[in-house]
This record gives sequence, C-alpha cells and structure tokens, in this order.
Amino acid sequence: METTISRTQTVVLAAEGITRRFPGVTALDHVSLEIRSNEILGLVGENGAGKSVLTKILIGIYQADEGRIWLNGNEVVMNGTSDAIQKGIGAVFQEGSLIPNLSVTENLFLCHEADFLQYGVLSKRRMAAEARRLLLPMNIDIDVDAPVASLSAAAKQMVEIARVLWLSEKYGASNPVVILDEPTTVLNDSERDTLFDILNKLKRRASIVFISHRLQEVLENCDRIVVLKDGQNVTDMPTAGLQISEVEKLLVGHDFSGDRFRENEQLAPNEPVTLKIEQMGKAGAFEPVSFDVHEGEIISLVGLVGSGKEELCRCIAGLDQYDTGSVTIDGTRPRKGSSRAAVLGGIGHVPIERREEGLALNLSVADNINYLVLDKLKWAGLISSRLEKEHARRWVAECLVKTPSIGSACAGLSGGNQQKVILSKWLSSGVRLLILDHPTRGIDIGAKDEVYRLIRKFAKSGIAMIIMCDTLEEDIGLANRLLVMRERRLIGEIDASPGHKPSPQELIKLVV
Amino acid sequence: MRPAASNTDAMRVPKSMSGTAVEVTKRWLRRSGIVAQLISLVLVIAVFALGTEGKNLSGANIQVVLSLAAIPAILAAGLHLTIVIGGIDLSLQGTVALCAVFVGLLSRNKFNGNDVGLWVVPIGIAIGGACGLVTGLLHTKLRIPSFITTLGISWVLYGLAVYINRAMIISLQDDRIQTFINDKPLGIANIAVVALAIALIVQFFEDRTRTGRYLYAVGGDEALAKQLGVKVDRVKILAFAVAGCLYGLGAVLLVNRMGTATSRAGLNLLFPVITAVAVGGVSLTGGLGGAKNALFGTLILTVLNNGMVLMAVNPYAQTAVNGVVLIAAVALTLDRKKLGFIK
Amino acid sequence: MEEKPRERVTQPDVRKAAMRLIGRVKPVHLTIVLILVVGTFMSVGNKEFLSLYNIDTILSFGAILLIAALGQMFAILIGGIDLSVGGTISLISVMFVFLVHSVGYWAYPICLATGLVLGYINGVILTRVKIPSFIATLGTGGIITSLAYVVSPRPISAASDDYGYFAVVNGSVWGVSNVFIIGLVTFVCILAFLRFSRAGRNIYFVGSNIKMAWMSGTDIAETRNVAFMLCGLCAAMVGIIISGVRYGGDPVVGTSYVLNSVAAVVVGGTALTGGTGGVVSVLFGTLFLSLLDNGMNVVGIDQYFQQALLGVMIILGVAVTFDRTKTPVIK
Repeated sequence: METTISRTQTVVLAAEGITRRFPGVTALDHVSLEIRSNEILGLVGENGAGKSVLTKILIGIYQADEGRIWLNGNEVVMNGTSDAIQKGIGAVFQEGSLIPNLSVTENLFLCHEADFLQYGVLSKRRMAAEARRLLLPMNIDIDVDAPVASLSAAAKQMVEIARVLWLSEKYGASNPVVILDEPTTVLNDSERDTLFDILNKLKRRASIVFISHRLQEVLENCDRIVVLKDGQNVTDMPTAGLQISEVEKLLVGHDFSGDRFRENEQLAPNEPVTLKIEQMGKAGAFEPVSFDVHEGEIISLVGLVGSGKEELCRCIAGLDQYDTGSVTIDGTRPRKGSSRAAVLGGIGHVPIERREEGLALNLSVADNINYLVLDKLKWAGLISSRLEKEHARRWVAECLVKTPSIGSACAGLSGGNQQKVILSKWLSSGVRLLILDHPTRGIDIGAKDEVYRLIRKFAKSGIAMIIMCDTLEEDIGLANRLLVMRERRLIGEIDASPGHKPSPQELIKLVV
Repeated sequence: MRPAASNTDAMRVPKSMSGTAVEVTKRWLRRSGIVAQLISLVLVIAVFALGTEGKNLSGANIQVVLSLAAIPAILAAGLHLTIVIGGIDLSLQGTVALCAVFVGLLSRNKFNGNDVGLWVVPIGIAIGGACGLVTGLLHTKLRIPSFITTLGISWVLYGLAVYINRAMIISLQDDRIQTFINDKPLGIANIAVVALAIALIVQFFEDRTRTGRYLYAVGGDEALAKQLGVKVDRVKILAFAVAGCLYGLGAVLLVNRMGTATSRAGLNLLFPVITAVAVGGVSLTGGLGGAKNALFGTLILTVLNNGMVLMAVNPYAQTAVNGVVLIAAVALTLDRKKLGFIK
Repeated sequence: MEEKPRERVTQPDVRKAAMRLIGRVKPVHLTIVLILVVGTFMSVGNKEFLSLYNIDTILSFGAILLIAALGQMFAILIGGIDLSVGGTISLISVMFVFLVHSVGYWAYPICLATGLVLGYINGVILTRVKIPSFIATLGTGGIITSLAYVVSPRPISAASDDYGYFAVVNGSVWGVSNVFIIGLVTFVCILAFLRFSRAGRNIYFVGSNIKMAWMSGTDIAETRNVAFMLCGLCAAMVGIIISGVRYGGDPVVGTSYVLNSVAAVVVGGTALTGGTGGVVSVLFGTLFLSLLDNGMNVVGIDQYFQQALLGVMIILGVAVTFDRTKTPVIK
C-alpha cells in the first residue's frame, strides 16, 4: 500500500458550500470537497447521497445553486464538460461517454482533431500512433482502429481515462483531476487489480477521485476518504489505519429515529403465501433464489446496484425472461417474460422512472387511475363516464392526491402526487403483490410520509409487497423481512418485525 | 499482466501495425462493412446469369447497367448522408423535380430565351443545396423529426415544381452535357465515371475529414456527441445541404440525359434510392455505412431490376419486389436495441 | 363527493391568470379560429360560397377526406404514421370495379376485408418485424400501389349494367347524399369506439406512453395492429366511395390522400408524438382543409400550389404540436 506521500500536497480543486436543489429535494446541502495533488480520494455514500450530483457540478454538467469552486487558488465557473476538461478536470461515468460506432482513436480525439489535420485532411496514421502512445501506460492491448462497441468494459474505461489525461495535458493542466464514478462495478477481479495498479502510477502526475460502494477497495487504495450522507458532508479523513466498521457507521449515520416509517402501524403478515419464488435464476443477472412473500407482508430487497435485485424484480414483474425456476402468485403460474400475464395474475410494478415508465403524462389523473379497471367501469358494455369519475374521485381522496381536478393532465403534478396516482392505479386494481422500485425517490418529505402511510394501509388490507428503497433506514423501517443480495446471490434473510429491527450498521456489513 | 510501460518507450511500434499487403486488405475488408454487399452482388449477378442464360453478362448489358445505376448512385450518395446522422431524407423527389424544372428553364430551350450554358451545372447544384439547407434548418431549429419535415418539404417543392412547370415538356437545345455523359473515353460512359468519382469523394469526406467523422459521431449517439462538443445542429444541416447538392447534380444529369425537363423527372426515384441505401447496409439507426455502401446497394438493386427486365417480369411487379427488398433490408440492418420501442 | 384539496392561490396575479388561459388553448382552438376566418373571407368575397350547391360540394369532399383522415388518425394516435393509405385507396378503387362486375354486392365486404388485411400487414411489420412505421408503410405503400397497377395499369370505368351496385354510395336519403351519411356514421362509430371501449382507450395509452402501457399489462402489439387495421379499413372505405362516385377506378387516385389525410390530422392539432388529439380535432382539421380547398378552387388557385401550401401547413402543424419532452433527441 502506498498511502504515505513524501512531498507536500497542494489543494488542486476545492468546492465550498455547494448546494443544489431539485424540485422537491435538496440533493446537496452545503457540501465541501478538497482534492489535493497526487492523491487518490475516495468518495463514498449510499445511493442518493449526492455523489453523482457533486461530480456533475464539478465537471459543469449541473450548476450549483450556491457555493463556489476554486481551482489552484482561483475561483472558477465550469461551463460544461468541455470547459471543465480544458481546466484539467474530467470524469469517467459508469454509463460511459464513448460513441460506440467510432473507433478508439476517433473517440480519443473527438472534437480535438486539429493537431492531426494536413490540408484539412485527417492523418489516420498519426492519429493511430498518438492513440497507441496514450494507451501504453494503460496496460491494455487493443486495436486502436476497432470500434469501441467491440471493447470490454475495462478497456472502455481505460480509453476514457486516457482521453481525460490527454486533454488535460494538451490544455497544459499540471495536475489533472480524474473522477471515476463506480468504475469497479463492471470489472472482474483481475481487471480491478490492473485498474488500481494504473491509478497508483497515475497518482504521480494526477489526482484521482474514486467513487465506490466497496469500502474494502476504497480503504486499501485511497489516501483520503470523504463520506456523504443525505447530501451533506459527514467526514473527511485519511484512510491510514481506518477500520471498515468505522466507515460503515459513518455511512449509515446515527440519526435513526424511531417512527419515521410508521413502524407502530406495522402488523405481522397473514399466514397464506401470496408469492412463491422457487429456484428462479437468470444467467448473468442473478443466481437461483427461492423465497415466499405472505399476505400483507413487506419484503425489502437490499443490495448495491449490480447485486441483481433490480433484475430479480423485473423478472417477477414479467418485464424480463428468466432461465430457471418458477413464480407462483396465489397458486397460479403466470407465463414467464410476459408483463401482461404478470399483471393478470395480480402482480403490480411501481417503476423507479415514474415519468418515463409509470404515467401517461398527457392524459388525465382520472384516465391514469382508471386504466387498469376500465372493464369494471362499464355500463351496458360501454365505459361509463359517470362510473369513471366516481372511481377516480374515490381514489384521489383515498390516496390523498393533490390535483386541481381529476381531469388535469398528470404532467402538471408534483413528483409525490404523480407517485400517488401510480399507487392508486395499482391499488384500485385489486393487485395481490406490488413491487415498489424506490417509491420515494425524488419526492419531498411530506409526500414521503404519505407514501409510507399508503404502504402501511394497503399492507394491512392484505397486499404483499416487495420493496427496494433509497436508504437502509427506509428498508429496515418499512419491511417485515429483509432479503440481502450481493454479487448476484441472495446471501441472507433478516427478520425486521417490530421490536426486532436490525441496526443499519449490522445490515451494511452484509451489503458491501 | 504485462510489465509496466512508461511514457518514454511510447514510440515502440506495436504488433498490429505490421503486416503484409494481403493482411491489410483482409483487415480493410473486414472493417469496411461491404463484404456482405459484395457477396450479394455476386449472388444476384449469378442468379440472373442463370435466369437469363448469361444475357446479363454481355458487354452491352453491363454498359446499360452502369449507365442506369449512375444517377441513382449519385442520389444515394447524397441521401445516405442523412441516414448516417440518424435521420432520413424523403424530400428527394420534390428537390429533383424543382431542380429539373429550373435546369430546363435556364438552359437553352424552346419556351424562353434563357441560356446559361454550362453554368447550369453549378446552378442546379446550388438550387438543390438551398433546398437541403432549408430542410436542415427547419428540422434542427423547429425541432421536428426529419422524416415529417422532409415529407412536408417534398410536397412543397413538388407542388412548386408543377406550378412553375405548368405541364410543359421543356426540350433542351443544348446537347453538350448530353454528349459528355454518354461519351466513353474510358470504356464506360462518362456518367458512370462521374458517379464513381462522386462516391469516392463522399467516402473520402466521410473517412478523412473532421466533419465527416462528426456525421458518424452524431449518428452513433447524438446526445453524447453534443456533450463532447460536436456542433450537432451544424453537422445535421450540412448533411441535408450536401444531400441537396447531390440531388441537384442528379437532376442536371437526369434532365440532360433525357433531353427534356418536366416536373415529373423526380417521380418514382425516392423508392429505389432509399432501397439501394438500405440494401447497401446503411443502417436506419444511424452511424453505420458510407458512400461505398450506397454505391454497392445501387449496383445490387440495378442488377436486380435489369435482370427482371431481361426476364420480362411485369414492370409493376418489379416495384413490388423493390418494396419487399426495402423492408427486408431495413429489417436486417436496424439496431433495435438502440431504438427501444419502435413506433 | 367532496372536492379534493386545491392548492391555494396566494396572489391573484393577472399575468398568471393570463398565462393559465394561454396554457389552456389547444391547437384545435386555433383550427376553429382559422375555419371561421377562412369561412368569413370566402363568404364575403364570393356570393356563391354559401350556396346550397357549394356547401353540398364541401361536405361531400369533406366526408371522403374525413374518413381517410380518421383512419390516419389511428396510426398517428399510437405514435406512428401510415404512408400506405394512398396505395390502399388506389388498389381498392380498381379492385372494386372488377369485383362489382363479377360478384355484385359481395364486392363491398371483400374490399373492406382487403383493407383490414393490408392494415394488419402494416401492423405486423411494425410490431413483429419491428421496423418504424414511416419506413414500413413507405415500403408497403409502394408494393400496394404497384399491385393496383398490376390489377389495372389505366383508369377503368364500370360497365353500365353494374351501376345499380353503386347506389349504396351515390344515392341519397331525404336529399342528403349517402357519402355524407357514411362519413357521419363513421365519425360517430369511431368517436364511440375511442370513448367507450377498452381497445379505444388502449390506443391512447400506447400512444402516450408505450412503455407504461406495456408494464401495465396492455397487449401493445395487438393495440397497434388494431390501429393499423382500422386505418386500412378507412382507406378501403375511401377507395370504395371514390370508385362509386366516379363509376370507375384509377391506380393513381389515392396518391393525394397521403398528403391530405396527414395534413387534416396534423392541422387539427393531433400531435405526431401520439396519445393526444382525437376525432373532434380531426373533424375540424378536415373541415378547415375542405373549406380551404373549395375556397382556393373558387378563387382559381392552382391545385399544385395548394399542395405546396399543405406541405407548409404540415410542417408548421407538427412544429406546434410535437411533444419534445418525450424524446431528448429528435432525429
């Protein structure tokens, strides 16, 4: 381990009091961050803690509502990624920013080809030679003329890192800052080791911000660690001598209050099994799992992005095909890989992307609420507008949807009210099992509480639920039982009935 | 793991650089994306050689095929640019019609005293380019999908062409261009040489200029290209304008080859040209295929249609065959993962 | 039932109220204003415009266009477009003349069924082969048109013996022409279908958010197939009516209906993104186009100039109604 730096380090990039609000949520609340020269800085936090928003502000994709950014002691404003890169700051995101049909060479120099022009014509030979030179320190053996789409995830990352370094070198940044957003989730063990080898070498001429969920690798490879929690700074300390358990404690926080999730309304589930999963597996997504969900029970799936929980839920909802095993809902087995069969069987799905996947935005609140029960709102074989209105009014009141009228388009509602419309749609349809994918993502505190109330109320009425939450507290607070997934496996089941709730610290040990 | 390499040994020549000419050719072929087209072309020729008992391989017929393919090849070289950026241009017929009428009226003809001589070539190209420029501006600035913009524009231009033309059949009295395009100093008609040259120039532009590569960047991932600093709107407008220029050139050649200009010149061109581009392997998803693909597509389609003529297939049924070929080619080249739900 | 809680307006702001009023204006309102403007101009400038004969002409032409546009509306409502209606209309118009001669009244159901089948093929190419509808229907349109030419390369007239069979289209009831009645009945049926049936509602949901419809268990392939089949059916009806009115068929007669039907739908305010608009918008769009067509014919404006104008209106109509929030990138 190379944690001690002999030279004195200077602060390269400093963010001070950064605040960024989105409708309904404050993503960052006076966050500060210092990046010093020649170091690897670990940035950790749960999903939604504000890591990626902070990254996007540092490279100019978002602008901060408040706060300032200093570069080598001078205050700067980042106007977009190309401006940031000219100042020597670049990021490599999980989703990648390489154009798939262009070659490695072309991607490396895209929009900066001026050096390779001869009478207005690109010199492919010189470009390829320069690309090879840039990729040499990256330790990868790839054909620089091959389209990027044919590369492995690890190679793509290396190309992106090389691009950031080349651009900052080109613009004369003495100590470039490379931000890596969860680079290791797509890598296997040996690729991961290679990455850290390279990062440790790069440290001699650059600063690296390393974002990861895996505390082990952060502690082993980073010089300093910054923890964010709910959009606020929690800590900033050297990693030398730091124990994982200490970081875990910081990560989950300690303001775990008793009744944020209406635990006192939680009931023991009924005996009958609503959903039975037997040896269900999907190659490359998750290993075979088996579990039951009882009537009125809330099961929380806990795990990192990439743990396989999302894929598992998509398979149960019929949105994806699974390879082995079976799903039984109320004694029947819906045809696999058919969302229609799943819905008819009584499985509902509240998606994370509520605007893109949950609502018909230009149609009215009433249309959206009634969509699944139109057949029951008929009079003499025709949909009756009187019954439609009655039904919509009843559920708007039941779920506390705040809307100017039931005829208003859903596009105009706030995030919380949109979520309540989606919930009304499923709950009114007599659904037996509801999958809730981050039901409180991006909605304000008041609406969150109402969503919790609805979840309790309908669990009481016998609807079984599988839930994935933004924070571990939410998972623990809401669920009767927690299923922990890690690296595509179901690794544990924890009782979370009232009075037996585990602490977030206990849980996070299993998760990361 | 390989030993660490530092910056200093950067000039070391990696293995992949070396190789014999055969290997280079092989690699180029693999990467050029026209292997399937070459094979299809050979297959189509072979099938019709059997079907027509070798009539399609006669020297005279090959000359006919090359001349027939020339104008669609030029139009395809233009149209495929708009598909490479991920859009499509359905305004071909309207643009060609308008250019044809203007070319007719500006050359020496029976109806008016105009005679711009050979200037008609740049003028025709300029009119086409202007049409393309307007299309590109409307598409990017009003932010409406290219297929409906160009469909609308096509109706506008065709309407204008007929309105100006007033059902006259304008006979040209200047046959210099006509003589030139039918001359065969190189063994094949000049018009085919021109088409080949255009295809090569466009291919060079796509491969070796910055703007050319940006076309592919936009077609590959428009949002990302914009984020990385490509001036997406400008690139798209350019694609439509260059396409327009080539339609203008096509119209000039078309009118001069026939010796008469009418607004009907553009009719029934869009279908075969789009089919040729799709058959050549230019994917409708964007970012794949180049002018060489468009050229090969045109050749395949022309050989196919010529073969059907030699076998005396009902000419209307030929259009139907083209339609089937179009749908099949699009179905094969479309990257559905990128499109999500198809509408 | 009690009203749901309203968000209180703290400051009665005139500008806010005005903005809200503007926000409530729908494209179809603009169309109605245009209709009034054009109608007033025409009746002031031309005494014949409001004559019974002229109104009858407008309505009959309008009824045919209305049926074609209602068909096109289905394709556009689900977020696609059908460029093959022209081909279908042409094919049916020539087929009908031949069929009437050989099978009599059976020609009607056979032609309508042909329309359904052609629409179904378009639907399947979209939903199973997965090709965007504009390019798929461009292809099938070309194929169908060439089939029309194969059936009859030239315009054909019906034998005078068969004229009796055309009475369904050409007759009139109490002075109201059958074409107009057919148009009206089609309009009411489609209105009822979209308003009162599950399948009709599905069309709106698939158009508005296909992913959401799919995740809610809607059979999206079936819904889109139905939309294209209804489009084909309407095109077949137009083909029959045209050959009835002319007592003959023509393999090019449908060509102009591609432009006209798209224009009527788009000008009426139905967005190309799908899921918005409906029969009433299409009715106004059609009314506007037929007024304009009639007016320009009366004034003596060249019909190809009119075509250019329609092209411009389509572009403007799409520019106004297209929902850009749905797709970040417009291709």
